[in-house]
Amino acid sequence: MKKISVGASVACLVLAANVYAAEPKDGGAINVVVQPEPPSLMIGMYSNGTTQQVGGNIFEGLLRYDKELNPHPLLAKSWENSEDGKTWTFHLEKDVLWHDGKPFTSADVVFSVDKMLRKTNARLRTSLEFVESISAPDDYTVVFKLNKPFGPFIRLFEVGTMPMYPKHIYAGTDYKINPANQHPIGTGPFKFVEWKKGSYIHLTKNDHYHVSGLPHINDLYWHVIPDAASRAVAFETGKIDVLPGGSVENFDVPRLTELDNTCVTTDGWEFFSPHSLLWLNNRQGPMADKRFRQAVMYAMDREFAKNVLWNGFGKVANGPVGSKTKFYDKSLPNYEYDPAKAKKLLKEMGYDGTPVRLLPMPYGETWQRWAEVVKQNLEEVGIKTKMVSTDVAGWNQKVADWDYDISFTYLYQYGDPALGVSRNYISSNISKGSSWNNVEGYENAQVDKLFAEAAVAFPDSKRQELYSKVQRQLVEDVPVAWLMELEFPTIYNCKVQNLIDSGIGINDAFGTAWIKQ
Amino acid sequence: MNLQTLLYIGGRLIKGVIILLIIAVFNFFLIRAAPGDPAKVMAGEAGATDEVFLQQLREQFGLDQPLYYQLWVYISNLLHFDMGMSYRQNIPVFDLIMDRLPATLLLTGTAFLLSIALGVLAGVIASVNYKKWVDSLITILSLIFYATPLFWLAIMASLFFSVYLGWLPGFGMETVGVELSGWDRVIDIALHLVLPATTLGLFFTAVYARMTRTSMIETSRLDFVKTAIAKGMTPSRVTRKHVLRNALLPVITLAGIQAGQLIGGAVLTETVFAWPGIGRLMFEALFQRDYNLLLGVFFISSAMVVLFNLITDVIYCVVDPRIELSK
Amino acid sequence: MNIIKTLSQNKVAMVGFFVLAIFCLIAAFGPLLYDGSPWKMVQRPFLPPFENSNYLLGTDTLGRDVLAGLIYGTRISLLVGLVSTLIALLIGIPLGAYAGYFGGWVDELLMRFTEIFQTVPSFALAIVIVAIFEPSVYSITSAIAIVSWPPVARLVRGEFMSLRSQEYVLAAKLNGQTHRNIIMREILPNSLSPIIVLASLMVATAILLESSLSFLGLGDPEIMSWGYMIGAAKTVVRQAWWLSFIPGLAIALTVLSLNLLGEGLNEALNPKMSGKREN
Repeated sequence: MKKISVGASVACLVLAANVYAAEPKDGGAINVVVQPEPPSLMIGMYSNGTTQQVGGNIFEGLLRYDKELNPHPLLAKSWENSEDGKTWTFHLEKDVLWHDGKPFTSADVVFSVDKMLRKTNARLRTSLEFVESISAPDDYTVVFKLNKPFGPFIRLFEVGTMPMYPKHIYAGTDYKINPANQHPIGTGPFKFVEWKKGSYIHLTKNDHYHVSGLPHINDLYWHVIPDAASRAVAFETGKIDVLPGGSVENFDVPRLTELDNTCVTTDGWEFFSPHSLLWLNNRQGPMADKRFRQAVMYAMDREFAKNVLWNGFGKVANGPVGSKTKFYDKSLPNYEYDPAKAKKLLKEMGYDGTPVRLLPMPYGETWQRWAEVVKQNLEEVGIKTKMVSTDVAGWNQKVADWDYDISFTYLYQYGDPALGVSRNYISSNISKGSSWNNVEGYENAQVDKLFAEAAVAFPDSKRQELYSKVQRQLVEDVPVAWLMELEFPTIYNCKVQNLIDSGIGINDAFGTAWIKQ
Repeated sequence: MNLQTLLYIGGRLIKGVIILLIIAVFNFFLIRAAPGDPAKVMAGEAGATDEVFLQQLREQFGLDQPLYYQLWVYISNLLHFDMGMSYRQNIPVFDLIMDRLPATLLLTGTAFLLSIALGVLAGVIASVNYKKWVDSLITILSLIFYATPLFWLAIMASLFFSVYLGWLPGFGMETVGVELSGWDRVIDIALHLVLPATTLGLFFTAVYARMTRTSMIETSRLDFVKTAIAKGMTPSRVTRKHVLRNALLPVITLAGIQAGQLIGGAVLTETVFAWPGIGRLMFEALFQRDYNLLLGVFFISSAMVVLFNLITDVIYCVVDPRIELSK
Repeated sequence: MNIIKTLSQNKVAMVGFFVLAIFCLIAAFGPLLYDGSPWKMVQRPFLPPFENSNYLLGTDTLGRDVLAGLIYGTRISLLVGLVSTLIALLIGIPLGAYAGYFGGWVDELLMRFTEIFQTVPSFALAIVIVAIFEPSVYSITSAIAIVSWPPVARLVRGEFMSLRSQEYVLAAKLNGQTHRNIIMREILPNSLSPIIVLASLMVATAILLESSLSFLGLGDPEIMSWGYMIGAAKTVVRQAWWLSFIPGLAIALTVLSLNLLGEGLNEALNPKMSGKREN
């Protein structure tokens, strides 16, 4: 058994090797699109994508993750795990100041994780059940004691999952309505200046940032531009330097990337690895039959969707775990596009032409077009499909109430099957009223057991074995119809250097970015 | 202005307040009929949540209370001039609206004045030159602008003047990131205003032009106009004194309606041009089920309509003395 | 008879009439001639018009036949436009007529009722209605009708208010004619011309409104309409301008022909304008 000690000695924030030989220059402003306007900048309280994008530059977690999802020091300069995998000790950076000038200490960590995040972050709350105690032996040391060697623990310290909040501001208050939420105080490279609702959010350089020499940028403007075409225009006219992934319509991507001085990257989504799929309501109608679900997989031309709708970005998904997520099994079989096979399966099960309702995702043109493609695919093998149209609220209502037959969705994987995958398949996660759990109603005791064991198995090789098993089982059962591992290209003006620098991409990009003059 | 008129206006205002309350109740129920609630939306956008979080949100918003109680709270707050808090933004609704209102009033006000001035002028010119080429040109142009989808025109205009020619800014109300003040700022805003105000105004310009033209032509055939001409009045004097005055009646009706829609009428334009106004605020509030915010926007625009209906009737009376204001 | 004769002499109106008639024919029989779903992906995406004789107007973002979409869209666009306007007129004319004619508390009551509908910003009200009942042809048509009738009521009321003090109305009253008769026979015909102009504009507005709703993502997902086509093409307007241009042209043509016909009707219907009254 290898020794589990993953300390890092140098406080090195730049994760990837800097491919630009040029010396980073200080100064300048970067204009970024933020779409949609976030409800709040309180990362960890709101997990909305844009809350993370902006908030991730104000707040910080203890660690950062590179594109292979390996942890790197940030607020914690080093850490170690005990032999049994149950005690984690973190050593904090000294001389870190909150934006209001107060020092950052272990008390803030204990408060953030044990008090505040337990209340405000649903996703973390589930993982914290493995944490027995959190203690601070001194001002710069924090010890987490686990009740089991929870495998994905080291991947919980990302800023969107476990951001650090200032105890001196939040302790003893109602976190949700603390006035500081409107003027967030973090430790990050940028300080909040102003949020002109409906227009822009302005952040400015944190002069007392704990990593010396950073950030390079003086000002960061996040612009709210509600129309996709206008966002594209804004980029073309040079008013916008960075279009985060998903902020322009996919149809605009090829044209924009061909513009002069325009760079594009699909990096920076490794941690999330958005996995798109169709929830098939296993409880009712033809979807209750495994052969129908398999037929859906064979009926869909997912390569077409990838090439036409996603500009060839991304990868057709062949199972529940994304290929960039830990413990992905490369040897899984794939469902090829095979309408004949689909028809055969439908005939075999005696599908009587019962119409199924298809719920598209209300997130814009691409998703609508995708639903149209899938509908056409399904109709061509003889599945009668009725498209239901609805908005975000209606979609959530229907999905949460199980009032659907087939519904589009996509789920983040958060780097580890125990964090982002199992939630969609284990039967204990079937609960009406939420749209992000086991909505399809798949129940399989074997799968439940495998996921439960894999989460706390030790070491990783044991976890891999269990996860491979469960992946095979799921691919055979098709509880949901997997579509694609999505890639959202970030499009930016090439003058912006060293932009995507971690596995969460734009969410903590600007601390290290600089502008080539 | 005599006492009778003042009494009339006072009475109308009282009735207006009652109407506004009825509307608030009506809107309250209308919006609640939509599927989903703000907690669902916020949780849904968040991508991960559980029932605990939803319940926390609902408690925080007061949505766990019975509906009649929520209505009572809302109406009684409204009577104290309190429109509540925006669920999503955690800011008083009034502040949010006041933050956005100037932008919308600037945009729609400009478009309104532009369309009335241009439209009536074009309509008069066309009718005076009835069946001549000027008339045909104005008619054709107004038909074209009338027939073109507004959002399409907006995108095209933005493409052409902003991207292709690079003459005008294509989105936003101000250049962000540059601190401007005084006249520089005014000019900057004015430049940003050109495209949205023009596209928004063109549609109504076409409507006014058609309305004025038709109405002018009709009125000029009326007996009293013929009488005036027979009495030896010059045609231009007849046009000004009699025809225009009477022909403007339908135009005034329409203007009253348009003025009432000043706040809410610019959703599309504001969307395409990213104009930080209230139309978009309303659209977003709607999809986020931000009930208080949506009701607040509706309330403010309701107040505008009540006000403008009154103004329309008063102007109507001034223009056409045959109409009595009150009994 | 007189009306049709007058109308048929108006060349511009006849152009409008014929264009509209062609659209109506397409709406009625087009789908019969063109079998197959307009949603079917038949060719490579973004095929420009006039390049492939099988798909004369090219294909859209997913490779669907634009011409097929146009043909199927004609039906629904016209239907939404006409039906919603009809409903709006059926609500608006009686309300406006009674309010304007009787005045007093009737006027008060009806106008307060109208005000409620006018107070909510109309486009937003339409959006709310469509959102609540979920986007479908029915919810869209109803929403358009519900937001379109107040202007009719107000216009009719204005006309009635101004006409009810006219000599011929007073004369009719003195003759002991019933209110119903006076409204239907004396005042309504004399206020028809602005109503017709407004109605022709309203059909057009309804078609535009439907496309605006689609633009914002509130179209009926089961039905191919011009509004949907523009909405779906808006994001690619710069790569493939024709995808929004073609259905836009169809809309513009329909609206234009409606207006021409409306104006022709106006001239034919209105005795004061036809110049035949003196004869």
